[in-house]
Amino acid sequence: MNFQQDVQKLKETYPDWHSAMLPALRAAQENHGYLSPEALRECADALGTTPAVCEAVASFYDMFHLAPIGRHMVEVCTNVACALVGAQQVLEAFEQELDVEAGETSADGFATLRPIECLGGCGWATIVSIDHHYRTHVQPDDVPQIVQELRDGD
Amino acid sequence: MSTPQTVRLTIDGVEVEVAKGTGLVEAALAAGIEIPVFCYEPRLGPPVGACRMCLCEITPGPPKPQAACTLQAADGMVVKTALTSAVAAEAQNATLEFILVNHPLDCPVCDKGGECPLQDLTFRYGPGNTRMTFPKRTFDKPIPISPLIALDRERCILCYRCTRFSEQIAEDGQLVAVNRGSQTQIATFEDDPYRAPFSGNVIELCPVGALTSTTYRFEARPWEIQDVPTVCGLCPVGCNVYATTREGKVKRILSRNHPDLDGGWLCDKGRFAYQHLRAEDRLRDPLLRVRRRGFEEVSWERALDEAERLLREAEGRIVTALSGSETIEQAYALAKLLRRGLGSHVAMLPEEVSDALDSLRVPLSAIAEAKTIAVLGDAPVVERAPIVELWIKHAKRNGARVVGEAEGADILIWCGPGGEGGARVARLAQQIGAKGAFYLPETANARGASDAWAAAADVEAANPDPIGLLIVSGDEAAANPDVRALAELAERVLVISMFHGLAAGWADLVLPGTSYLERDGTYVNLEGRVQRLRRTAIPPAPDELAWISRLAERFGVEVSPYPSVVFEEVSAIAFGGIPFGVVGERAELPPPAAAKAERLGSGPEGARPRSGLRLIRYRALFSGPAVERTPELQFQRPLAEVELSTEDARARDIRPGDEVTVRSNGTSVTLRARLNRDLRAGVVRIADEHAGDLQPKVELST
Amino acid sequence: MATELVLAHARDRDLTKLAEYEAVGGYQALAKARGMTAQAVIDDVQASELRGRGGAFFPTGRKWAFIPKPDQNPNPHYLVVNADESEPGSFKDNEIMATVPHRFIEGCLITAHAVEASRVFVYIRGEYTGPYEVLVAALEELKPRDDILGGVTIVLHRGAGAYICGEETALLESLEGKRGQPRTKPPFPAIEGLYRSPTVVNNVETMATIPPIIELGGAEYAKLGVPDSRGTRVVSISGHVERPGNYEIENGTSMRSLIYDLAGGIAAGRALKAVIPGGSSTVILRHDEIDVGYDFNSLLALKTAMGSAGVVVLDDRCCMVQLGIRISEFYEHESCGKCTPCREGTRWMTQILRRLEAGDAEQDELDLLLSVCDRINGKCLCPLGETAAIAVASYVDKFRGEFQQHIDDGGCPFGDSSPLHNVLAPVALRTHSPVAVVPA
Ligand SMILES: Cc1cc2nc3c(=O)[nH]c(=O)nc-3n(C[C@H](O)[C@H](O)[C@H](O)COP(=O)(O)O)c2cc1C
Ligand code: SF4
Ligand code: FES
Repeated sequence: MNFQQDVQKLKETYPDWHSAMLPALRAAQENHGYLSPEALRECADALGTTPAVCEAVASFYDMFHLAPIGRHMVEVCTNVACALVGAQQVLEAFEQELDVEAGETSADGFATLRPIECLGGCGWATIVSIDHHYRTHVQPDDVPQIVQELRDGD
Repeated sequence: MSTPQTVRLTIDGVEVEVAKGTGLVEAALAAGIEIPVFCYEPRLGPPVGACRMCLCEITPGPPKPQAACTLQAADGMVVKTALTSAVAAEAQNATLEFILVNHPLDCPVCDKGGECPLQDLTFRYGPGNTRMTFPKRTFDKPIPISPLIALDRERCILCYRCTRFSEQIAEDGQLVAVNRGSQTQIATFEDDPYRAPFSGNVIELCPVGALTSTTYRFEARPWEIQDVPTVCGLCPVGCNVYATTREGKVKRILSRNHPDLDGGWLCDKGRFAYQHLRAEDRLRDPLLRVRRRGFEEVSWERALDEAERLLREAEGRIVTALSGSETIEQAYALAKLLRRGLGSHVAMLPEEVSDALDSLRVPLSAIAEAKTIAVLGDAPVVERAPIVELWIKHAKRNGARVVGEAEGADILIWCGPGGEGGARVARLAQQIGAKGAFYLPETANARGASDAWAAAADVEAANPDPIGLLIVSGDEAAANPDVRALAELAERVLVISMFHGLAAGWADLVLPGTSYLERDGTYVNLEGRVQRLRRTAIPPAPDELAWISRLAERFGVEVSPYPSVVFEEVSAIAFGGIPFGVVGERAELPPPAAAKAERLGSGPEGARPRSGLRLIRYRALFSGPAVERTPELQFQRPLAEVELSTEDARARDIRPGDEVTVRSNGTSVTLRARLNRDLRAGVVRIADEHAGDLQPKVELST
Repeated sequence: MATELVLAHARDRDLTKLAEYEAVGGYQALAKARGMTAQAVIDDVQASELRGRGGAFFPTGRKWAFIPKPDQNPNPHYLVVNADESEPGSFKDNEIMATVPHRFIEGCLITAHAVEASRVFVYIRGEYTGPYEVLVAALEELKPRDDILGGVTIVLHRGAGAYICGEETALLESLEGKRGQPRTKPPFPAIEGLYRSPTVVNNVETMATIPPIIELGGAEYAKLGVPDSRGTRVVSISGHVERPGNYEIENGTSMRSLIYDLAGGIAAGRALKAVIPGGSSTVILRHDEIDVGYDFNSLLALKTAMGSAGVVVLDDRCCMVQLGIRISEFYEHESCGKCTPCREGTRWMTQILRRLEAGDAEQDELDLLLSVCDRINGKCLCPLGETAAIAVASYVDKFRGEFQQHIDDGGCPFGDSSPLHNVLAPVALRTHSPVAVVPA
């Protein structure tokens, strides 16, 4: 199986195989869409640890999802710098455009929307991370266009 | 002033001198001062400094309270605890306030109440009232994390003791912390049961009532109980334990940390199998076979008459099958009666343990310091002597190598068949100049029982034919198929057993037995340490020594009913004359004996099959009469698995979890494959209860 | 005013290309350093008086000098670069990695030489896809250049979303594949760091500052800036200014000119209310406290710090209680959960602040808030909890009247005219653990 080999390679990148944990979880999440119990078991087997340990680590980090998410991930930074220039309004615009409440996945499974802590782009606020690529200077008015682009690309 | 090995420091104005490297918590204790702690537990490895209960004012250091548990005593250090420092008192009070902010304070219905560090420390250092007026965090509770352990997440103070145990000591990776920050909680994967041989230790580690024992829940309040110090009798390690008793009944088993022997850990069998004392099929009265039809309960007087009759009628043609769970006193008493009184010298001993090991005697804790450890014999250590496995893990964490060859090892451990009662491992150890060697016998007091048997007389005798009487002493012997086979050949059978299920059907006379928790006496553990068992609960029948003494009287043999007297007698012959009083609550290990090289012949090497695989059948830790009678332990019974080496698996294209058929001489069983990187190629292991009629030579196929 | 060393030439050239970087003298400092002994490089960096740019401001050369020599500790040495930049208000490392990746890598290679490490791990925050891709490309371009790499392996290790992993020991735990919870110190990473081996942990900007130091010579570099704060600093300015962004300045430049000259003053002509001077962890400054040099000592005199050099400017519409809630929510969300005061205290702080904002708080709850802050501060395992308490307490301290008004008016005087009104924070979405109401 490919995943097993990938993880094997990751383990060899480090002097101690434990360091391959985060990269392995990332890879498993990419394969499965989220870290399902199945994905965690697979990860554990490939790494040589238990699924419980994998879950313990995964659940510590915001970028790992232990429940299903949408096909797209829309994350709006609502920390202070972005909030000062209207991040909340951007978030609300996405809620409307995607027809979903922040923190949830749209009924059609198209996208998950959530507020997120500082993304390290405060000078280019509001930062919205779409499938882990940043859009900068986002204003509420930009939101329909962004969502349209996403839908077009689907 | 301090010496090169010591440091001097001042704690609350008290000057103390302690060994270099002593932690501040221990240093304070040496000065008679308490530094309160929750997360600190040196047995779990380096301190983590998580709970912040131990904050003290310490100079030199930054101008804020320091977590004393993370620091070592140093020359000239000045430590002020809450006793003398307002800063420390405020800090400790703050920590308790934060802990209590989300604690449910359901102390009246909490099992930990009365023996709870959180209660005690709040009483001493905590705030008298709450300033918290917000909703508390709540969780579903209690949730079973296994049939043995209940988890109450609301009570949890996140000291991470339990998860550190699971991760770093037992290394089972099953009990973990999930989520982050104030949402952190203790969990198992997918709510699977915490299924691992040492799980119960987390109950004792938990400083609050978050992890409780399902078998002790709501059984007693701390002021109604008594903790009786004794020794576990379920495997050859002999962990030191307290039996918590209430109204003459055992309610739970706790560790009684012997740092050289068990390090304060217990396996789940030792901790939970005490419930066999109350098994439904426990025998209370002697049973006599009435003609061919069945059994009749009879009085002890009648039973002794019958026993006397059986003994006399056998005319010396007696074979005794010992269990290896008899106390030294009991085995000696039986031997004295049979050997000296009746000239019946033939016994089936559980296992003869070689005294060649005596010159290589070291405490189990020496394993932790070893550089290279050879584990030989192919049977799984954890199944036979679980605590030894923890010591090996400890050594590995210290950087030791664990190998399958004696060469270059400083500690040798033999676990499995072909060990010649330790003679072989002793021989190997002497050849390579190892520091110590251990042989892991199958039963708890194999060594003590066989030494006691040998001490009663020095006569070799031929097997009687036919056997007039087979005496089956104890449950292990009663459950042993070889003993059962021998019974077929015997004219009469006398069984001493605790359980109806083991005794009925094949005996002519059954005398109720007692458990290791119900007897006074001594055991010899696998290190060679003579340890004291105490009567912790009142048995439903007189103990063995009492009635053997009375029976012996009828044959003119003098056997005292008092273990202390019997021990002095046998000790003079077999244990270097150590007095009973010296076998105290914390037994010492006698120093290694001088090597007796001349007595070591070279034994036969274990035969290796030329083709196919060698099957090691083993008695699983979670098996046997006591475990079978503890419902909560059933989930720990061995899985239907065959364990094989990665190499053999690869050669046969077997992957973990595959169904494989194991064959030998026409019989076969189908089991799941479990791969073990540390297992030698050419060897497969199956727990007895799943091995069917498989012979020592097997082949595998998918 | 703007003095560019770290970001030099980045505005007019594409320095992500190796050729371009070499054209402006790139990797010459590395060659120079490799011509020096490791000790000489450490000495030069000590002479530069460089202090770490990650927030703790620890002297860099001194940190390197702590690394035991191979005869004292046979374990391999590691260089771990902290590229986890997650402090609210800070986005400089992002730009450094994205625009001058080779200067950053050059700094890593010089440092590896100085501390005798042959492996470098760059722990880059998981969300930074852009900078990560730039670094991957840069390293790809370097692959055939053994003259530059010199046998040193650089591994990019991506984080997965946890602010605490910027704390160096939590970072090491995370790099070792565990939950990112800080370790107790001592032992310090220089003695027992990654895989219990001697490890230097440095910030991205610190690394990118090394090549210019070697190029100029430490003594020359130390002529820039002011005592205790030498050289330049990349400052991130955000919030209510006309031209937010990163500006590399000489240390000691006045805050006022930073905000009004470089960043073009307060946006939309509004009035300045307050400035967070060094990322969310620092004590806030009122509008009348900005005539101060942007350097360690000057800010220390105001009991605050440069931290990670994230300057957040707030105009006069902002409610300080709302600011407190949002900052407290951030720390509550990011608390690792290991130590009691931070885990329980940040949650409690948020609860009290919410009640204040809603106008439901009694008078003594303001004191309770300060008391909770005080009981967190100085009691935690790592600075996360402490800074949460310090920051929030500073809002009360500097804007007490405003907090009082919330109690007196039974509500927020700003309401939704403040841009921080009702901002949804991630922590508010954690609903999987229900709460019980304590009976009064
Ligand atoms: C909560 C917390 C978060 C931190 N985050 C970062 C960070 O994102 N980047 C960083 O370089 N340093 C961060 N630090 C500081 C690091 O612990 C460490 O001091 C720094 O990486 C050392 O590098 P330097 O000496 O080059 O500054 C953080 C510290 C704390 C307590
Ligand atoms: S202060 Fe917070 S982040 Fe730091 S160790 Fe404590 S709980 Fe973790
Ligand atoms: S006992 Fe020291 S921090 Fe927990």
